[in-house]
Order: sequence, then C-alpha cells, then structure tokens
Amino acid sequence: RSSDAGPAKFKPPSKPVIVDKQRQTAERRFLSPEFIPPRGRTNPLKFSVERKDMIQRRKVLSIPEFYVGHILAVTTADPYANGKTSRFVGICIRRGGKGLGATFVLRNVIEDQGVEICFELYNPRIQEIQVLKLEKRLDDNLMYLRDALPEYSTFDVNMKPQSYLDHEEVPVNKLQVRMKPKPWSKRWERPNYNIKGIKFELPEEKMKEAQKWSKPWLEFDMLREYDTSKIEEKIWKEVNEELKK
Amino acid sequence: MMPIWTKSGKKHAVTLLKVQDCHVLKYISKEDSGGKSPALIVGGKNGSPFSRSEAEMKIFREAGVPRKQKVTTFNVTEDAIIKPGTPLYAAHFRPGQVVDVTAKTIGKGFQGVMKRWGFKGQPATHGQTKTHRRPGAISTNKASKVYRGKKMPGQMGNVYRTSFGLKVWRINTKHDIIYVNGSVPGHKNCLVKVKDTKLPTYKDCNKNPPFPTYFADGDEKLPEDLYDEEMFQFTDPSVTYA
Repeated sequence: RSSDAGPAKFKPPSKPVIVDKQRQTAERRFLSPEFIPPRGRTNPLKFSVERKDMIQRRKVLSIPEFYVGHILAVTTADPYANGKTSRFVGICIRRGGKGLGATFVLRNVIEDQGVEICFELYNPRIQEIQVLKLEKRLDDNLMYLRDALPEYSTFDVNMKPQSYLDHEEVPVNKLQVRMKPKPWSKRWERPNYNIKGIKFELPEEKMKEAQKWSKPWLEFDMLREYDTSKIEEKIWKEVNEELKK
Repeated sequence: MMPIWTKSGKKHAVTLLKVQDCHVLKYISKEDSGGKSPALIVGGKNGSPFSRSEAEMKIFREAGVPRKQKVTTFNVTEDAIIKPGTPLYAAHFRPGQVVDVTAKTIGKGFQGVMKRWGFKGQPATHGQTKTHRRPGAISTNKASKVYRGKKMPGQMGNVYRTSFGLKVWRINTKHDIIYVNGSVPGHKNCLVKVKDTKLPTYKDCNKNPPFPTYFADGDEKLPEDLYDEEMFQFTDPSVTYA
C-alpha cells in the first residue's frame, strides 16, 4: 500500500498579531519647549528650581499641549473689562522664551485690523487656555502671516472647540499661503528663514537671487550642535512624575 | 534671572544668588582696625588651598575652615559679633528686607570713548577723514589745561560696583538661594557681597532680622521656602480681580 511520508506535519495557524493602538500612540511624548534649558554656563540648580515652580503652576492651571499653528482661546483676568475677564482667540504664531518667562504670540484679524497679543504661559492672570483647533503647520515660525492676505489670519471669535482623540497624531496642514505684493516686513524668500509654507509667486530670477544668501555649511557646523535628546528624556520623566502626584 | 509676579498681577525681574559655604573667619575689634566699629571677616565658596601663600592660609587654619575664594569685611555693631568658624546661611536674610549687592562688573577691557562714556562720535560720511569714534575736543581755549577726571578711553569693567536698594522677594532654605529684585553687577556665577541697605528710605524694612544670624542647629525650624507677603506663590489659584 502506498505510504505517505507519515501524516502531514501539523502546522499551527499563524498567531494573530495584536496591535494595541492605544499603547502605541501613548508612547508619543511631548515636552513643552520651555522646559529644555538653553546652552550656557548657568548653574543647573537654577533650572531645577525653576522647573519646580513651573510644575507647581501646571498643577493649578492645566496648560495643554500645543504647537505653532494651533488655534487657541485664552481667558485672562483684566481689571478694566466687564466681568473682569477678557478672552482672545487666535492662531499661535510662535513660542519663545525658556523657563518661567515662556511666551506665545496669538494672531487674529478683528474688524479688518490685525491684532497680535504676546501671552506669558506662567502669568498668574491667565485663567484658562483652550485649544480650539489642532493643526501643525509646515514651519516653526508663522511670522509671515503678517505679510500674507488677511483671510489666512482671520478666525471666528466664537469658534467651537473641535473634538479630537487623545492618542492620534497631530495633523499637519500643508497649506501654502498667498502673500500680499512686496515689500514685506522681512525677505521671506531668503533661505535663512527656511519657510516652506508660502506659495511664492515671484519670478524665477528673484528666487535664484535669493539663493545667493544661502549658507549650506551651517547644517554641518559642529559647534552649533546641541543634542537635547538625553536632557529631554530626563526632564520628561521628572515632569511626569511630579505632575502625577 | 527669573520673572516673579505679585498678587496684583505685576511682573518683576529677579536675580538668584546662591549662598555657598559661607563661614565667619575672624573678628577684628574696634581698636585693632582703628575704625569706628568692630569688623568681621567673612569668606565664601570653597577653593583649592594650593594657590595662596602661607600667610593668607593662616586665617583659614585658625578658623578651622577650608580655603575660601572670596574674603570680605563687614562693619558690625558690638552686639552682633559672631564666633569665627560659624557657617552663615541664606536664612540670615528674610523676605521683605532690602539689600545692597556689590560685585566686580563684567570686564570689557580697554574700550574707546563711545562705548565707555556714551559719546556720540562723528558722522560716517560727508567728508569725515579718519574720524568716526574719536572724542573730539577735550578742553576749551581759556582753561589751557585738561581737567582731572576727563572722560577718555581706558579700562572698562572689572571694577567693584554696588546696586543699592534691592528688595528680597523669596528665600529657599533648602538650596540657600536668595531672590533679589532687579539686576546685580557681575557675570553669571560670579562672587558677590550682600549687605543690609545704607539707604535711609528703607530703614523701617529691616526690622526684626535674625540677630546676630540664623543658626542651623538652633531651635528655629524654617519651611523650605519663605515668600514675601505680596509675592504670588504658584500653589495659589490664578489671580482674579473681584
């Protein structure tokens, strides 16, 4: 009788790969940029003392995670306003400063007048910071919105906060902004600003002339390197532990 | 330097000063110094003993203290004399007191008249031959001499200067840090002398200080942070105008 080569070896079915999306995306760490100490000869004790104060303030007022390009609503205590609070809605143009003096600039166009207000993150007069729309832009610095057409900086003052899931990635808006005719406040076409979010409608010769000011050696300059990954991890752990208490 | 907010919402800038290993080194009586009041020599911040001569090291050895980098004299009243060898802490000062801070300013080297004294110089164009940052005339015809103290180029900085009337906002007893209003002469991490004010307007502010000084092994147990009454502490809720 014909002999098979024994019974076919039992092949177990492939194990199902469980992708836990919650745990994966919870690994996304965001450390607010004002926690990272700048390069310098200051005593690290100063930064740790300052960080304690910042964490104390964060326990009282919850400062959400936000980047440049988000649309925020900030309520501050104002002694000269009705109801003693004033609310301002705008797009975050830039975040500056380190430590307790960290600031962010919100821009909006109200009744055809462009308004920019610079708020301090740790100012005790701020009652609430609300994120209305989550949206990262292509650049870190949106100062060119001053020379762009006003429609790109107008936002509804009574905008409802957009609901967003906690563990999704922050969406990047690849909007190319159209500008008013030149002259601009700064020469945004030059490579030292490194702007990717403008739709340049300039002739080709002007774009080539702007490339004359490019400094291709800057990215290879070793003295300018400041590797913050290890510092960031330490600080992130410290901040998270303190906030949980 | 750091920002600080008051309970009414105003912002002030503040300098952090660290009190690092301060010890009283020697007591000089009124007759020895020949001055009006006895003096105490205080030293701060430990350093290596090898770069100083034996005569200077004698003071440190008698006090039983490692070699200090900064040594200063304070004129003290008779009842405020402290035994040499006692350590001094930041809790010697209290929030609300007013203080003078002396330090060596940042050295800028040999500087010209425009940077050192703020002269306007000369225009860049319109026919100026080799004259853009020069002082111009140094005296008149009638004087026929140059007065003493005429502002001229020379060494700028690296000189002891004092800022007066600085309020103390906060004291951290754990790390020995004093938060002093405004800016202070000197570069980052430089050595500084902190003294009670000599200004007459703040005479009332310096009442009831820890006298003669704050003793760590004494009965007084201070909390980790001492705040001024007007200062906003970050544990409080946000400031509102009712």
